Amino acid sequence: MDDKKLDDILKNMEIPQPDENAKKRAINMSMAEFQANLQKNKKNENNFQGLSFLARLMGKSNKQKRTDPMKKRTIYAGMATAMAVVLVAGVTMQQSNFTFQQETQKSFIKTASESDQSHATGSQPLIAPADKAQSPNLLDERRNRAEMESPALPQDQYGRKEPNGQPKRDDALHNKSSTITPAPGSSMALQRLAQTPKAEGQASTLKEKKIAGGIAASPMVSMDYAEIDQADLFSPQQYKDVGRDDFEDFKINPIKLVSEEPVSTFSIDVDTASYSFVRRQLNHGVLPQKDAIRVEEMINYFDYNYPLPQTREQPFQASVTVTDSPWTEGKKLMHIGIKGYDIDPAVAKPATNLVFLLDVSGSMNNQDKLPLVINSLKLLLGQLEPNDTVGIVVYAGAAGTVLEPTKVSDKGKIIAALDKLSAGGSTAGAQGIRLAYELAESNFNKEGVNRIILATDGDFNVGITDRDELQDFVERKRESGIFLSVLGFGQGNLNDHTMQVLAQNGNGVAAYIDNLNEARKVLVEEATSTLFPIAKDVKLQVEFNPNAVSEYRLIGYETRHLNREDFNNDKVDAGDIGAGHTVTAIYEFTPAGGPASMDELRYGKKAEAKPAPQSTDEYAFLKIRYKLPNENTSTLMSRPVTIADDMTSKDGKPSEIIAQEAAWATAVASFAQILKGGEYTGDFNYDAVIKMAQAAKGDDPYGYRAEFIQMVRLAKSAAAMQSGR
Amino acid sequence: MTKDFEDNKLVMLSCAGDAYAFEMLLNRHYKTIFRIAYKWCGHQENAEDITQNVCIKLSRAIHSYKEKSTFTSWLYRIVINSAIDWQRSHKNYNDHKNTEDEHISSATSSPEGDLYMKEIMTQINDLPEKEKTALLLTSSEGLSHKDVSVIMECKESTVSWYIHEARKKLTNTLDIKENHKTGNKKEQGHG
Repeated sequence: MDDKKLDDILKNMEIPQPDENAKKRAINMSMAEFQANLQKNKKNENNFQGLSFLARLMGKSNKQKRTDPMKKRTIYAGMATAMAVVLVAGVTMQQSNFTFQQETQKSFIKTASESDQSHATGSQPLIAPADKAQSPNLLDERRNRAEMESPALPQDQYGRKEPNGQPKRDDALHNKSSTITPAPGSSMALQRLAQTPKAEGQASTLKEKKIAGGIAASPMVSMDYAEIDQADLFSPQQYKDVGRDDFEDFKINPIKLVSEEPVSTFSIDVDTASYSFVRRQLNHGVLPQKDAIRVEEMINYFDYNYPLPQTREQPFQASVTVTDSPWTEGKKLMHIGIKGYDIDPAVAKPATNLVFLLDVSGSMNNQDKLPLVINSLKLLLGQLEPNDTVGIVVYAGAAGTVLEPTKVSDKGKIIAALDKLSAGGSTAGAQGIRLAYELAESNFNKEGVNRIILATDGDFNVGITDRDELQDFVERKRESGIFLSVLGFGQGNLNDHTMQVLAQNGNGVAAYIDNLNEARKVLVEEATSTLFPIAKDVKLQVEFNPNAVSEYRLIGYETRHLNREDFNNDKVDAGDIGAGHTVTAIYEFTPAGGPASMDELRYGKKAEAKPAPQSTDEYAFLKIRYKLPNENTSTLMSRPVTIADDMTSKDGKPSEIIAQEAAWATAVASFAQILKGGEYTGDFNYDAVIKMAQAAKGDDPYGYRAEFIQMVRLAKSAAAMQSGR
Repeated sequence: MTKDFEDNKLVMLSCAGDAYAFEMLLNRHYKTIFRIAYKWCGHQENAEDITQNVCIKLSRAIHSYKEKSTFTSWLYRIVINSAIDWQRSHKNYNDHKNTEDEHISSATSSPEGDLYMKEIMTQINDLPEKEKTALLLTSSEGLSHKDVSVIMECKESTVSWYIHEARKKLTNTLDIKENHKTGNKKEQGHG
């Protein structure tokens, strides 16, 4: 047995593939721990005592620790003297004109000043001292991010925390950067890179000086603090990337030729999840990922003041408006607005059998997850009648019934059950869904509404984890008359795709709840629409008149596309409308003879020109199919869209209020499309959206529309920040 | 180099509280961690256990990483320490068990080779921790003595000494067995 043979054997050892589940489990556990630590660090940072964690766990000997700074101190002392000389020389170029200098200073003076402060308070969480190897690139990136997070950071904040005598350092730095600044030119970025490490050296120097001046702390530790503070500028909790949020990716609806495809069919969508998610991202100063934006959900987030249906027999009414397109000269927009009748809560509220299905897995262990779920549901309780029942099923590693169906009159018991919940473990979502359906079935109310409300971040990782399988299961259960609504919570791990699949196939609504305010909107103000369906499987079909319209494009509803033949097939599932819901769909179309986006075919059949004068008055024909909640055959509603609906024609006479609502929907649609890349919105920019929205804001009793305008402004600055990178 | 750079970047972001960066870091190194753990204990589930421990440890210790050494050598150190901890805590009830029921095999898979492999693994498992570490990291992971000295926080010459000792012990015991085996065969042939 020789060494080589042994080496061979050891080298060729066959390593099995690690188990995917084990990996997921390990990573989840670690992430939970990571988050917990983050919070603990935050909590403890004010009562920090003794040696820092880092100082104790230093990977090198004490001896080295002592000698290193001594050497450095000599060098720094030299550098300090050099700086003093520069000062005495009285260089007056203190204010530099080059922005890149300012940026460099901003970042590093801050480092120095803030770290000084940390000495005063003596407390910070710790990170690695990335002293020499600190990459300039990385610093740039982090600084950019810091700016992005606090766009309002005034430029003159540099020295705000400087104690006495510190401004001098500012000067010193200014001087230093002036002296090392070569002529301005196109290679600004390069210069900045070259400058960065020097500037950093300066910052550290200043600190060392101060320590030499008598602060009783280990210089080594203080070096670490410098880095920490820099990291802390981006305050851990604030920086959130889009992380593991999972969205279905889809292509934007393209422009279609009426001569080739005159019929457009889709299912309605009353979900609003996309809007809340986008708002959350923007509030963090980040543009949302494009797949997160579903234009129709953004539009349908708002309540529109469309006329209500006259009778109860007809659950909703469609109103149609045609306006000029603000995006492309010569094109028009067709708004189809649908409003469902509202139940008068005092009279007609049906009895409700609710089962809350709550995700209490480890991933829900976050302030904006489980605690928010509990508070949201307490809000909802206030909307229920004493005779309604509520059951609670929770799932984590396993599923269990926490509360058998209980009458709302026994509110204390329900609240006590909710308060007892805590998060931990992995997520066996499918098992929970099964149990929730069982519970709802056991307490099935033939006369009333039976609904499961699932609150989750969508991360199912135990049991049925396959989306298609889950979908099959929910589809089968839908037949039993139990509806499923999905409330999404949290961020970073949000599985929007799974949530959408569940809600769409479970005859329900998917909403995303990012704060208590949104919970109030969904569960209190819109409780009737969230809880009481008035029509299901609502499908829209629009047939365009080739004589009046040459091209069209449906805005949004990409994920709700139906085939032409699905419209009349009652077996094909589609979206549902709750009491008082409004749904808006917008088409952009080119009137015949207008500016075409597609060239005519040279070899194709020439469109037969049949200039029948009366037929050009009719743009399109709208058909809507729906089923009443407990029926299985659909009813058809139809109406033509004529020139009389066209606000811009002289025959058009739509009501002012509808015109205003249409303008609002257009503003929201513009915004959503711009966020998605603005493929079809031309020169229409954020400012134009703001202007348009301001004009169409109307009453806005709850302030949602004002909030939207604020969001556009945030997006504008976030976009500017990202393009400036 | 770029890999180290990326690692360092991720570590820094993680330290700043960026959970996504931390997760990327875990995903990136999960396989490496598992590989070393597996080499240490030679058992899939146990290796997964160790790997999980390492992941959790990382979430607490990530702040203490410094760019004095590369991230990978720092990681090696954590994995080895976790493996040692794990082994100590399991020593009592499955002293030898872990090498008996696992499926460790060499790439050239023959029943005889497997048996031999198993034998070697058992012998390696019986080595003192430090010798085992040094041997696995150099021979199996292909690290230089210098890298291993950083990981084990000792002098390079000490690493060489550990390896020398380990090889001596292994060669001795295995040779004895080999001789024993071939001796048996010879006897049978004559008989």
